[in-house]
Amino acid sequence: METRTRQFRQNSVAALSDENVQKNLAGLYSGFHSARLTASAATSDWQELSDTGRRIKAHVIENLDYYLEMLARNVERAGGKVFFARDAESASDYVAGVAARHNVDMVIKSKSMLSEEMGLNERLEQDGIEPVETDLGEYIVQLAGDTPFHIIAPAIHKSREDVSQLFTETLGSPYYEDIEDLGREARVQLRQKFMAAGMGVSGANFLVAETGTVTLVTNEGNGRMCTSMPKVHVAISGMEKVIPSMEDLSVFLRLLIRSATGQMLSSYVTTVTGPRKDYEEDGPEEFHLVIVDNGRSRLLADPDLREALLCLRCGACLNACPVYRKVGGHAYGWVYPGPIGAVVSPMLTGLSDAKDLPYASTLCGACKEACPVQIDIPRMLLYLRKELTQGDNYPDQRAASPAEAVAMKGWRASVSSDKAIRAANLFARLGQSVVSNEGKISSLPGPLSGWTEHRDFPPAARPFRSRWRELSDE
Amino acid sequence: MNDRDDFLANIRGALGRRPPLDAPVSAVPHSHGPPGELNERVARVRELISRDADNLMSVLARVAVTSGWNVERVDSAEAAGDYIMDVARDIEARSLAYSLHQVVRDALRPDALSEAGIESVPIALGHESEAQDAKELAELKRVMERSDIGVTGVDYAISETGTCVIIPRAGVSRLVSLLPPVHIALVEKGQVLPSLDELFTLRRDDFVNGNLGSYMNLITGPSRSADIEYKLITGVHGPGEVHMVLIG
Repeated sequence: METRTRQFRQNSVAALSDENVQKNLAGLYSGFHSARLTASAATSDWQELSDTGRRIKAHVIENLDYYLEMLARNVERAGGKVFFARDAESASDYVAGVAARHNVDMVIKSKSMLSEEMGLNERLEQDGIEPVETDLGEYIVQLAGDTPFHIIAPAIHKSREDVSQLFTETLGSPYYEDIEDLGREARVQLRQKFMAAGMGVSGANFLVAETGTVTLVTNEGNGRMCTSMPKVHVAISGMEKVIPSMEDLSVFLRLLIRSATGQMLSSYVTTVTGPRKDYEEDGPEEFHLVIVDNGRSRLLADPDLREALLCLRCGACLNACPVYRKVGGHAYGWVYPGPIGAVVSPMLTGLSDAKDLPYASTLCGACKEACPVQIDIPRMLLYLRKELTQGDNYPDQRAASPAEAVAMKGWRASVSSDKAIRAANLFARLGQSVVSNEGKISSLPGPLSGWTEHRDFPPAARPFRSRWRELSDE
Repeated sequence: MNDRDDFLANIRGALGRRPPLDAPVSAVPHSHGPPGELNERVARVRELISRDADNLMSVLARVAVTSGWNVERVDSAEAAGDYIMDVARDIEARSLAYSLHQVVRDALRPDALSEAGIESVPIALGHESEAQDAKELAELKRVMERSDIGVTGVDYAISETGTCVIIPRAGVSRLVSLLPPVHIALVEKGQVLPSLDELFTLRRDDFVNGNLGSYMNLITGPSRSADIEYKLITGVHGPGEVHMVLIG
């Protein structure tokens, strides 16, 4: 996915002046946010569940290599194939390769944030393969050539009139007044795709290491279609989704679903363990699991940010956040919006490209309070702000080779010593007075010039509120 | 180094370790279920669901309504067959697909359905050759796609969440509960579990015994979407109308 994290401020202004977006954002609070509060209150041991969930996830992250190895072994034992992808490109190449081997011309997809991260649809299109998003929200977003607005409600920025208009233009359907009719139209359109597609791609909510099982949480049933109808199923997953045992699922399904939509359980929870067995009636003949790093190991390597890998992607922090509820998902400019996105995106796309994001928070703590695994997002945002004031320690490494990564580690190590930091600060202050131009340092002299060729170097940080005031005046 | 070794070595590097682990560096946290060895827990669950079967069925009946099922309590498989017939007449069904769960065979009356002008098709392959199976499966998908109703049994139901659990196997397709617009699930006394905890304890035990299978669906009400203006609509991809028939 194209990165537009640098335009946070412009993007925010656009969202703030869009009445429709503001109306739909207000609905997040009355809808998902209050449903979450009701569901967690109805779960008698919510706090204990949350503590347990946090403990299990922290344990897995601490032993991530161990559990990933166990997972891969057990997926293979069940007859599946496993591919480990260091970056988005190799993950997309692998998926496109599977499609090519089976001469597939259409791939049906159930909602996956990682797929956006990988730019998988663009990659498949390049190879002449039609990717079809089948989650209603994602389908709308795809028809519109748009990007998802919310982790679990991707098209929530569009009104029914927008969608009706879109369907008449792209599908040639009549103009429908009712949302039910729009749903029916999508069902008819997508049924044909489900019947015809040669391959299905799904995300994963949890990966059970002990059994080699992929778990999917959906409401519409498209996830079941994508994992049952075609001959080939490819599941793609971030490496942090692994949990030790099947018995842990009861903890995490409750935490995820009740925090996401406030349902006691979503309409469908599906577990997939390898391809169909000979004695079974149906299901894919081939199953692949693609486990993706794509910058996550950078979060893992930093003890101050490692906690972000506990995230279940429920979206509760978005709905609780007073900033997200005003600027919406597009303002954040990349796949993961909201408070958790403000931590994750800078690490996955490069802090210098996303330097407004750590400031897109009032640090009110609502995100931490909403988080089912108690991730201390405000602490990490403060940490990233500190990193920004000390210069960009996390340059763009999206497609970094191992060699580059080693070089960057060396660079980090050099600025970690007191002496080096003092020298760098002195240098920065001296430099800033000379080259600062309209609040941004657009070129640095001498050995640091490489850092500013494609990105602006951040000036001293100022609080979000003061920047916000300035922005409202613009 | 291959992709996997490289990937895992990089993770170990990020965690500040070098050699692969033989065991986790920290104790595995105990998840939510009751303590004790797996086989002890399994025995306790089995004892509980039979001892408390009536009560669990009553709780399920109440919760399933709130999770979107049309709930009907009957006292025999025969009465369940009557209910299926009523639903088929109500929606003016022309065809019905069904799985080969024993309870469905007991309840369903193909002759009576046929007299009422309703075709009923069992969804199962011959399992004679791969090529033959592929041909039959393509045809069965078309049958299910045009069926008005899908009838299945269940492996378990969960009273905490109002959920039916279906584990595909010989005679139990993944799709009977998905492709037709109406799904009728038959639940028998003794199949009802109190919560998700018990389900995953039993399934973990199935894994240990080599009986996990490749797939499992937890179904909680109709297919739902709130993707347009948060307005809840049903039946976008899966069934928009679902019935849970509690037998006994």
